[in-house]
Parts: sequence; C-alpha cells; structure tokens
Amino acid sequence: MIAILLGLPALGALVLGLVPLPSRSARIVGTAFAAATFVVAVVVAARFDYGAGARMQDVVDDRWLPAVGVRFHLGVDGISLPLVLLTALLVVLCAATVADRLMMSVVLLLEVGMLGTFVALDLVLFFVFFEVVLIPMYVLIAVWGGPRRRPAATKFILFTLLGSGLMLVGFLVMYGATGTFDMTALARAHGRGVTAGTQLLAGTLMMVGFGVKSPMWPLHTWLPDAHTEAPTVGSVLLAGVLLKMGTYGFVRIVVPDLPSAAHDLAPALGCLAVAGILWACLACLALARGEHADLKRLIAFSSVGHMGFVLLGIATLTSVGIQGALIGNVAHGVITGLLFFLVGGVKDRFHTSDVTDLGGGLLAKLPALGGLLLVASIASLGLPGLAGFWGEMLALLGSYSPAAGLSRPLFVTLTGLAAAGTVLTAVYFLAMLRRVDFGVVTDRWRGERITDAAAVDLVAWTPLVVLAVGIGVWPGLVLRVSESAVRGLLG
Amino acid sequence: MHLSMALLLSALLFGVGVYGVLARRNAIALLMAVELMLNAANLDLVAFDAWFKDTLHAGQVFALFVVVVAAAEVGVGLAIVLAVFRLRETVAVDELRQLADVDPVVRVDADS
Amino acid sequence: MTHAAWLLPALPALAAVLGLFAGTRVAGGPAVPALAGTGVAFVVSLLLLGAVEGSPATVHESAVAWTPIGGQTLHVGTRVDGLVAVVAVMVCVVALLVQVYSTAYMAGDPRYSVYAAEVSLFTAAMLLVVVASNLFELLVGWELMGLCSYLLVGHYWQTEGARAAAVKAFVTTRFGDAAFLIGIFVVGGHAGSFEIGDVVRSPGSHGAVLTAGAVLLLGGVIGKSAQFPLHVWLPDAMAGPTPISALIHAATMVAAGIFVVARLYPVFLAAPVALTVLGIIACITMLGAALVALAEDDLKRVLAWSTVSQLAYMAAGLAVRGWTAGIYHLLTHAAFKALLFLAAGSVLRTVGTNLMSEMGGLRRAMPVTFVTALVGAAALAGLPPFAGAFSKDGILDAAHERGGALGTAVYAVGLATVLVTAAYVTRMVVRTFLGDYRGNAQTRLHESPLVMTAPLVLLATAAVGLGLPVLPDGWGVARWLDAPLGTTELHVAAGGVALSTGLVLLAGAAVYALWRRNPAADPVAVLGRARRPLAAAFGVDAFYDRAIVRPLHALARGVLRVDDGGLDAAVEGSGATASGLGGGLRRLQNGNVQAYASGLVIAVLALVIGVSLAVAR
Repeated sequence: MIAILLGLPALGALVLGLVPLPSRSARIVGTAFAAATFVVAVVVAARFDYGAGARMQDVVDDRWLPAVGVRFHLGVDGISLPLVLLTALLVVLCAATVADRLMMSVVLLLEVGMLGTFVALDLVLFFVFFEVVLIPMYVLIAVWGGPRRRPAATKFILFTLLGSGLMLVGFLVMYGATGTFDMTALARAHGRGVTAGTQLLAGTLMMVGFGVKSPMWPLHTWLPDAHTEAPTVGSVLLAGVLLKMGTYGFVRIVVPDLPSAAHDLAPALGCLAVAGILWACLACLALARGEHADLKRLIAFSSVGHMGFVLLGIATLTSVGIQGALIGNVAHGVITGLLFFLVGGVKDRFHTSDVTDLGGGLLAKLPALGGLLLVASIASLGLPGLAGFWGEMLALLGSYSPAAGLSRPLFVTLTGLAAAGTVLTAVYFLAMLRRVDFGVVTDRWRGERITDAAAVDLVAWTPLVVLAVGIGVWPGLVLRVSESAVRGLLG
Repeated sequence: MHLSMALLLSALLFGVGVYGVLARRNAIALLMAVELMLNAANLDLVAFDAWFKDTLHAGQVFALFVVVVAAAEVGVGLAIVLAVFRLRETVAVDELRQLADVDPVVRVDADS
Repeated sequence: MTHAAWLLPALPALAAVLGLFAGTRVAGGPAVPALAGTGVAFVVSLLLLGAVEGSPATVHESAVAWTPIGGQTLHVGTRVDGLVAVVAVMVCVVALLVQVYSTAYMAGDPRYSVYAAEVSLFTAAMLLVVVASNLFELLVGWELMGLCSYLLVGHYWQTEGARAAAVKAFVTTRFGDAAFLIGIFVVGGHAGSFEIGDVVRSPGSHGAVLTAGAVLLLGGVIGKSAQFPLHVWLPDAMAGPTPISALIHAATMVAAGIFVVARLYPVFLAAPVALTVLGIIACITMLGAALVALAEDDLKRVLAWSTVSQLAYMAAGLAVRGWTAGIYHLLTHAAFKALLFLAAGSVLRTVGTNLMSEMGGLRRAMPVTFVTALVGAAALAGLPPFAGAFSKDGILDAAHERGGALGTAVYAVGLATVLVTAAYVTRMVVRTFLGDYRGNAQTRLHESPLVMTAPLVLLATAAVGLGLPVLPDGWGVARWLDAPLGTTELHVAAGGVALSTGLVLLAGAAVYALWRRNPAADPVAVLGRARRPLAAAFGVDAFYDRAIVRPLHALARGVLRVDDGGLDAAVEGSGATASGLGGGLRRLQNGNVQAYASGLVIAVLALVIGVSLAVAR
C-alpha cells in the first residue's frame, strides 16, 4: 500500500511531464492522481491498527544498496500517519487549483518527496526524499513566483541544502557509531553503545539541519522571502508540509535515537524556540502596522512563531510536549494552508497582497472571503475550541513540567515568555484584520466589480475549515493516534 | 665518465630550459627553451641507458621517441606562433592574455 | 435532570449555527432560531434549578473521556450544584430578554442574522463556563466568550471607534487569559488533575505553588471582570450595540470572573494571599471607577464605570470570605444593571445621542422607561427594599465580620463608594429624565415599543423581587446557594442597612439640591478643576499607551529592521563573501601562461621534495 502511495504521484508526475496534454486535461489528470493518492492514504489510515500505534505498519523492507547497508524500508506509525493524511489532503486541494501542466507535474513530484520523508524508515532513504523535495519547490518558486522570485528561490534552496548537508554528516556520524542506517533499529537501541560525545556531535549537526527546515530562529530568514515570492500552491505546500519535515525529523530521529544529546540540547532548543516565537510576533506586528507590508510575508513570519511552539514542545522531552508538537504540526498545516489559500484568492482578485493597497472593508466587499479570513485568523491565533489552541497549550503544559534532568526554572520561564507570545499573536492578527477585513472599502476598489469566493473555491477551502474546527473540538482525532507511539519514543 | 656527470649536465640544461620557459618574452625563444628541456631529458635517458646497458635499450628507444615528438611539437608550436603573429602583430607571451578570467559585470536584473 | 445539563451550552450553540447558515431562510427570520435556542435553554435551566433545590451542596457530575494528553486523559462533562443552577438561570433569563429586546432595537440592521448568531454563540459559551466540569472545558467557553465579545463590540466595524474598542477588549482580556492558562497549569498540576472536582477537593496546605496558581488565575479574573489594572477595555466596549452591553458587559461575561473565583473558592481559601490581592484590587477599583462615573457625560460610559465598580464589590465580597453575599450581589447586579442598560438603549434609540448634556425631561415622553430606570437606579444606589441594597449590605457586613486590615479597608472603601454611587446615580437620573429637554427640538420623543419595554418591566420586577431572598430561612438564598466551609453566611444587620441607606439619601439629596440650583448644568461642575482627572479616568489609558503600546510598536519595528538588516544580511552576506572569495581566487587566472607554468614548476618541486623526504624517513 505504501509503495502505491509513493508510486501514484510519481507516475502522475512522469505522465504529466512527458505527455503534452492541453491545460484542462492536465488539470483533471493531475487532480485525479492526487485524489487517488489521497484515497490510498485514507485506505492506509483505515487499515491502521490504532491499538498498536507504536508499531510500524504497512511495512516495505527490500534490499536496495547492500554494499553500504542501506535498505528500502518504509512504514507508518502513529506519528507519521496524521502527517501523511495532511500531506495527501493538501496536495489534492492544491491540485484542484493548478492550471499549468508542468506545474501540476512539479506538484506531484513534490508530493512524492513529502510523503516519502514521512514514511521512510532508513536514514539514507529519508535523506533522499528530504532532498527530492528541494528541486521541485525551487522550480515552483523560480518559474511561477513573484517579481523577486530568483533570489528568493536561490536563498531557499542553498540554505536548506546547507542544512541537509549537515544533517547527512550527522547521519553518517551515527552510522559510524552504531553501524546501521535503520531507523527502527536505532529507535529500539535508544542510544545504547553510542558515547555521549558522539551523540552530541550527531545531535548538534542534525539540530542545525532540521532547524533550518523547521524553521528555527535564527535560521529562519529564508522563509519570508520564499513564501512571499512563491505562487499560492507553493506557499500552501511549503507552510503546510515542508516545515513539518524539519520538526518530524526531530521527533523521529533525534529524540529516540540520541536521548543523551536530546537532553543536552533541549535547553538550547527551548530557548531558540521561544526566541523564534517572540521574534516572529514582533516582526508580524511591525508588518501588520507598517506601510506596504505584504500579507504573505506576515503569514510567513507567523509560521515561524507557530513552529516555535512546536519546537518548544519537542524541547520539553515529555509525552505532553511532543504530543503538543505533533498536533501543533497538523493544526498549523491546516490553518496556515487555509490562510495562504485565502490570501492567494485575495491576490488573484485584487492583483496585490499589499496591506496598504488593499485598504479595508474586505468583509463588506467580499463577505465570504472576508469571513473565512476572519475565521482562519482566529484559528491561527490559538483560540480554544479551534485546532491551533491544542498545540500551543500542550507545548506550554509540557514546558511547565519538563522531563527529569532538564532545568525546571528555565523551562518555567520559557513557559511565561511563550504565553506572552500568545498575547502578541492575538495583537498582530487583530491588527491585520482591522486593516484588511474591517473598515471601509477604499475609493480605489469601491467601483470595481470583484467576484467573491466561488463554489469551486469553497469546495477546496471547506475541508480545511471543517478540520480546523473538528480538531479543535476533538483533538483526540490526532492525539489518540499518536499517543502510544510518542510514549514509545521516549523509551 | 661517471653517470653523475651526465646527470649534472642534464640537470643544468633542464634548469636553463625552465628559466627560458618562465622568463623569456619571445614565444620562439620559449619554444627553444622547451626544446632545451626535452633534450636535457634525452641526455638523461641516453646516460642511463649507457650506465645500465639493458637488453631492450629502453633508454635509447625512448630518446628516439622524444626526438620525434619534439619535432612534431615544434612544428605545431611554430605554426601557432606564426598565426598569432599574423593576428596580433606580436609574439610577446605576456601580451597574450585572452584566457584571463575577468570579474563578471554585475547585472541588477533579478531575472538572470 | 442534571444529566441533561449539557443541553445548556449545546442548544444555543446549535441555534447559532442554524441562524448563521439558514437564518434568512427560516420563516420569521434569524430571530427565530436565536429565541428558540435561548428559550429552550431557559426552560432547561429552570428544571435544573428545581432539581437542585433543597440540596444545593450536592454536586451532580457527569463526564466522558475527551482526549488523551500525554500522561492523563481530559474529560468533558458537566458539574451541577446550587451555584451553577442559579447562575445558569440568570444567564438564560438575561440572554432571552436581550434577544427579545434586540428584535426591535436592531431592526433594520443588515447584519442582524450574524448578530443574533453571535449572541447565541456567546450564550452557549457562557453556559459552558458555568456548567464545565473540567478546567480546560471552562477555558474553551471563557475564550469563546472573549471572541464573541470582540465580534459584537466590533459590530459597527465601519467606525474606527468600534474597531479600536473590539481589539482593545480582546487584547486586554487575552493578556489576563495568558496568566489564567498558566494558573490552570499550576493548580491542575498541584491537584494532579484538571477536573474541577479534584481541584476543589481539599487543596492542601498553604503552599507557595498553590498561592502562585491562585494569583495567576486572578490574572484572568481581573481581565475578564474589568478590574484595575485591566479595566480599561470596558468603557470603550460601549461602542457596541446597547443590548450587548447589557448582556455581556453587565450581566454575564464580566461576571464570569467572579463566578470562577466562587467556583474554585476552596483553592483561594487555601491561598489567603490571593484573596488579599483580590481585596486590594477590589478596593482600588470600587472607589476609582465610581469617581470616574461621576464625571462622565456619556450615559453608557457612566453605566460601564458603574459596572466596573459593582464588580469590584463582588470581588471584595469574595475577598473577605463573604461568598454568599458576593454571589447574591452578582445576581442582583445582573438584574438591575441589565435593566439600566436596556433602559439606556431605549433612551438612546429615541434621542439618537449618548450624551446626557443633550438629554433631559424624558420622563414625560417615556414613562415606562423612566419608572423602570428609576427602579434600577434605586437598586444600584442601594435603597431598600430594592435588591441591590441587601446584597451590598451583605458584603459590607461580611467585611465588618472579617475584620483585620483587609476587612476594615473593604468596609471603609465600600461605604465611601456607597456615597459616590448614590451621587452618580442621582446625577444620571436627573440629567436624563428630569428637567427640560436639552437636545434637538426636531427629535420626536416617544416611548419604545412593547417588545423593548416588556423586558424592562420584567427586569424591574426582578430588581425588586430579588430583595426577598434575604428574608430569613425558608425563603433565604441558602435554599439554592451552599456556602463553602470557611465563609460567612449571608447576614444583613438592620444597623448596617440603616447606615448605608442614610449615606445614600445624603448623597442623593446633595446632588439633587445642586441640580435644582441650575437644572440645565451638570451638578458635578461644582467639583471644578478636580473634575479633569476624573474625566480622564486618572490617566490610566494614557499611561498604558506611553508605557506599553508605543514601546512595543517601536520594538516591533526594530525587530523587523534587525531581521532584514542583520540576520538576513548575514545570510546574504555569506553569498557575497563566497563571491568575494571567488573573485579573489579568480585573480590567479591572469591569462599569463608563464605564471601558470611557474606555479606548475613550484608545485612539482614541492611534491618531489616532499615525497623524497617522506620516503627517506
């Protein structure tokens, strides 16, 4: 099943890349492949044994590169399953909006990399899929992006490539110490036989590598430019899935395989995470109130803040914290994906996403679009009852009582600072809504006839709204799935 | 005569040849210096052959190789020097710098 | 019956969803689902009250497993006792009356269906806070109320004032809520569970941890109940429609903070420091807000400041262990404050302005509004036999009984506030209803329609009727409210009542006399220069702007600059450095063949020598 999950989008990418279909058929074919992949993902979820979420299921384990000890090892467990479903869903929704044949092919190729990363169980295979994602995303930004796309795309690919390179070195250090690339074996070994010094070296290298992707402050500066210049589809997938790959790497590899390094690095990770939260909130506030700020840039920075909460959850090294990180991942993917779709819709209609140029009164001019923007913003600022709350709350709860061996005063301080971050998040989102959604429509747009969100758009966006509310009300949808797996992670 | 004397002479000739290659401005003088280096190597080969007296006379054989290759090389080299002279009116080696890598002109156009 | 308590939040929530998506398609319009949802909830709350009557101490709890979080499982459910039932009835009554009133007040508003849905959602959220059995469940309702308050205060979002007020309300309360969240962590961690039942069951000794948790919880209470220093949002929130002011900012949401303290009272009893903090804040707020109300010209703002002051009374009551008195005042305040706000709405709708300087003489044109407002005013001032008198006196009595520094302070400040309250209430009544009309002669002065005056009459009846439960025994409040151990029973002494009544009459007479001297002028003008700091609310807003808001914005701009110029510049700088290095190395390719050859010779020599040396060793 997993093999089909990866094979379908690969086949689709190949077909669309080589066969010169007209644009309309390309859209249908591409969406069909993406939908089929989603169906396969749902089947995998349906066949999943939720009672044994800690065990790898649907496993594929074949010979691949025996000379270097690398096997083609794939599988899902309670941690990767929600992410796989999220990825498949977001790609289907994106594919429905893509009109260009080559763009569709690139998106499907991207999907292969994203899904592959979440199901890979061999370090080298993980690295391969991690890298597969980079070129399609570069192409997506560099070809179909905004006016300053080339520098943004170059910065994106070089920065993340640097991170991945360091990560690979970390993997090789681990291989040198343990003699295996297999992630399940390494998780079972739980760092036995690897000295603390080696663990720390490997852990630090991986922390930098995953940190670039997460993104972790201060390695985040590629994100705002990449998001601003990327097309809507690129932004949605970048924020919705690619960022999760970094934090997933932390949870899947660093925490179970390098426990002593995790303990040593946790305070640093926590501090950097909270620095990211506060930094991002302040930057967003300046953008929301500033002259000629790009909405997409604001949402990109807010992603840095949200992922800061996820990283804080991981840094606590407790079941509560890591559960918070995982649900925060899913919630952020859903909500920020929705936000980028909405801003993409605004940009399509107004041909600008500049806050000053848009003026105000979106809620008056386009009630459906404005209303959805209001809902998505409220969800993003972490209102209890909507999905975003659980990630933040559990990360804070975990940080309040971190794992044994971690400095309690430090983490309680971090809890307080991060809670201040939640207040600031509300400030900037409301400031943005005040300027864009509420108020009076400016003279520039008053006379123009602009169509509101059409049925097609609503069909694409409604699943995300439903999920945002659903996960908010029943967080067990995600938490129940990952619970046993997380407990297994921490040994 | 001891081998070392022939080697010494060869080394001296080689040294003069290196000096010529590195320091002479005239391309033809440079080629002449290259010839000098080749012949120094030849001298070495023949000296070793005379000292060790092996059955295959490899030294002498290779010396003949070198003579042939040197002749061919000089022919081609002089032809090139002639062509360069016709084009550029000069055979001074330090004035022929087309292979230099220059700093690229910085284009502000972001689409490059 | 208590098992059906979950219907209380569920029904209005359902009404909200229906009203939002199908409101216009229902026969009768969007008001129907709103009224139906709240109406049925009201019936359920009455049944609930009947079920707990007589045994208010018994707790009826039912919960289902909700979600695992790390080590434990959170449950969601309901926890009903006397307090819950009484407050639920109060919420449903006020919400229902406000919905009925709004059908006339908001008639003609193009976004009425959204408004009605938001009010229903708010009612659901408040009821969720009331019946919640789990602290996080309570938090969900708590913050949802904040969201509805934001949306409703900002209902007229075309105006800058409403937009600003909505943001201010949300952000100020969110600040308190951050502390509230951490307080939940501390208290729940201390008790080992987040169920309210477990938290209030013998919280243990007076530990520092529990005290910290209680104080943090107070942060949320202060924010939501608009006490000093987080009171600044409530007067500005008057930018919202008046029925909302009645529902959210008088009777329910602001009372939620007081309710939470009462609900978790055993925790606060085990952390006396927290109660002292609450008492001090209550004293400051009580008198300060009353003084500002004295100087305000905007009728709604007078009522807003009055609410802040009365909430401080409730907080003070809880701080001096007068639990029953505090809750009793919450109930009576809900009645008379909602009444006053709805009456104000009636006046505003007729005269078209909020300012009292443009009103006057309305008692002839609006008799029902006048009489009901007078009843509300008397209750607010604390004249027996109106309800407010006994509840206020209960609090003062509890303070007196508590003694010590805190009790004496509350008692003294409470009495002083009685004076000032009577003063501003009298001023409000005379300037709005008595004398001659000072506004635009063109305005047609008329009474409001029945749909608006009926709720006024009902609330006025409540404002009088609620005075009855203080009568001894069988009819007493104790029938429905069970005071936790360690608190004082509701006790109203004749002496105390006489003293406060005397003060009320004194202040009222003084203001009336001042007014009689010059009916057209503001009686408060006699304060002269002292009026200015009162009118500026003691400069708290301006202070916050200078000390917090502006530095924050400057910091934000600085961060963005450093991000672009510093961090990003470092990244781009690495690229520039790489190009620079390349440029440096490029200089070796100077096109001179002899230079290349020299390099070659030197390298070969170095290799040969190196290898020979290495081999020789």
